[in-house]
Amino acid sequence: MSSNRSTLLLADDDPTIADSLAPFLERAGFHVLVVSDGVSAFEKAQAHHPELIILDVLMPRMDGRETLRRLRKAKIWTPTILLTQVGEASERALALEEGADDYLNKPFDPHELLARIRAVLRRVRPGERSLSAAWLLTADNLSLDRRARRATLAGETVELTPKALAVLEYLMTHPDEAVTRERLLEAVWGWEYPAGTRTVDTRMAELRRALDDDPADPRFIETIPGEGYRFIAPVHGEG
Amino acid sequence: MLKKSWVNLLLLFLPLAGGVIAFILVNTFSQSLPPFMVTADFGVFGFVFGMTIRNLGVIPLLLGLFITGLLLIFYNRSLRRQEQTQMLVEDAKREAEQGRRRFLRRLDHEIKNPLTGLRAALVNMEEAQADTDRQRAVGNAGHAVERLTRLLTDLRKLSDLGERPIELWQVDVPDLLQDVVDAAHVLPAYKGREVNLLIPKVPSPFPMITGDRDLLVLAVYNLVENALKFTSSNDSVEIRVAEDGRAILIEVADSGAGIPVEDVSKIFEELYRGSNARSTEGSGLGLALVHRIIGLHDGQIHVRSSQEEPRGTVFTIRLPVTKKGFVLRPSN
Repeated sequence: MSSNRSTLLLADDDPTIADSLAPFLERAGFHVLVVSDGVSAFEKAQAHHPELIILDVLMPRMDGRETLRRLRKAKIWTPTILLTQVGEASERALALEEGADDYLNKPFDPHELLARIRAVLRRVRPGERSLSAAWLLTADNLSLDRRARRATLAGETVELTPKALAVLEYLMTHPDEAVTRERLLEAVWGWEYPAGTRTVDTRMAELRRALDDDPADPRFIETIPGEGYRFIAPVHGEG
Repeated sequence: MLKKSWVNLLLLFLPLAGGVIAFILVNTFSQSLPPFMVTADFGVFGFVFGMTIRNLGVIPLLLGLFITGLLLIFYNRSLRRQEQTQMLVEDAKREAEQGRRRFLRRLDHEIKNPLTGLRAALVNMEEAQADTDRQRAVGNAGHAVERLTRLLTDLRKLSDLGERPIELWQVDVPDLLQDVVDAAHVLPAYKGREVNLLIPKVPSPFPMITGDRDLLVLAVYNLVENALKFTSSNDSVEIRVAEDGRAILIEVADSGAGIPVEDVSKIFEELYRGSNARSTEGSGLGLALVHRIIGLHDGQIHVRSSQEEPRGTVFTIRLPVTKKGFVLRPSN
């Protein structure tokens, strides 16, 4: 029966979390393998080839970041969600080197994890290196150099605030995915803001102005009424 | 600065020792000069002068004595200064330790209440017979989890504020305040009420400030949320802004019951709850966050409050206006 279901590898050393999340994910239709440390996660990932890995960061024997680095070094491109925060610029640079496909900060709602898992599985092509690990992202005549933190449009540098640049980065690494304002807030700002949705909308307006993107007839960012935003141009990653 | 040690103390006497040795050497190897009559008639100075004339060895002796004397004075002052600095450091340490203990005590209090509620809810979930009772227990558990999550989120915000650099960009204050009012609409305490936003028409455009817009929204929002929470529907809440050429003043005022005098000086402390705030929900970190954010913007925040007529509370934030020629840049 489990052969029809996607297999997830869940690595968390806290039994309360693993014991509660595993049945939840099983109910959602996945086959879940549970391990409690980084070394076991690395071994299980090699032996069982799960469709997706969920890694906690602080774990005995080998932490989640190191586990992910080793997996990527071994050319194992299994999509991975890291259970940590990735708000700050330095953290984002680190995240790039790790090559995680998404991040989720504890404490989280299990439904949010499920949404992340489904979104990542939809986005990532099995066996291929994901956009999250690419240094240079291009979409039409727009390119984003993630290392230099610079965006260019038709060869001209686009003047953007760091937050707007981070929003663009998140959208470009999650193309064709409906990204909610709440998700953007968590991923880019790091924590929720009271004027949250307005905050996101303000940055989005700035981004659209800078990219000369007409909301009524978008080339890059589409508004999904009542939901959020979607990056619609095809994105290619390099490096 | 000299440290207190026997070696240092002995070193201070080196010039004197040198003087004594020179005196002995002069007396041993040189012939005394012819006697010269200088008597005590001229007092101590006459005597010393006479001695000096009669015996040149006295010169290095007196010089050594003088230098050692000076060094002893310097050494003594240095030690006293060190003692004072040490006392200040110890006072600061003691205060920090007391602050840490106070914070842990308050944190313990903030955690134990929702946790107790959560445990009770779990027992009810297990033992309740009727579906409605079980549903209520689930709701209570969810509520307790929300409280704990909010506490954790605010703690993380406070810790993040100390670590990550803030963005420094030009901020349009009237626009920011409008955002705060719009965001406050979702608060349960806002229901059926109005927040008056007073923005002067002159000067136009209103001077900009330099700062992290999102953080400033959070700061003013926290003040507005507090004002709404601690006042009744009959009270007024007002946000007003003014400028004096050098700074922008944002005031969040309410006509509520006011803050007790003994609480006013402590309300910006982390997890401090005033006597009239204990029964009101919140993480106890809202005003500490405001204080930290305004500090990061080189601004000041003050509060004045009265429980007697005309009663009410006014928080005043003062933020420096953007200097001319300011270039947009992130702070790091």
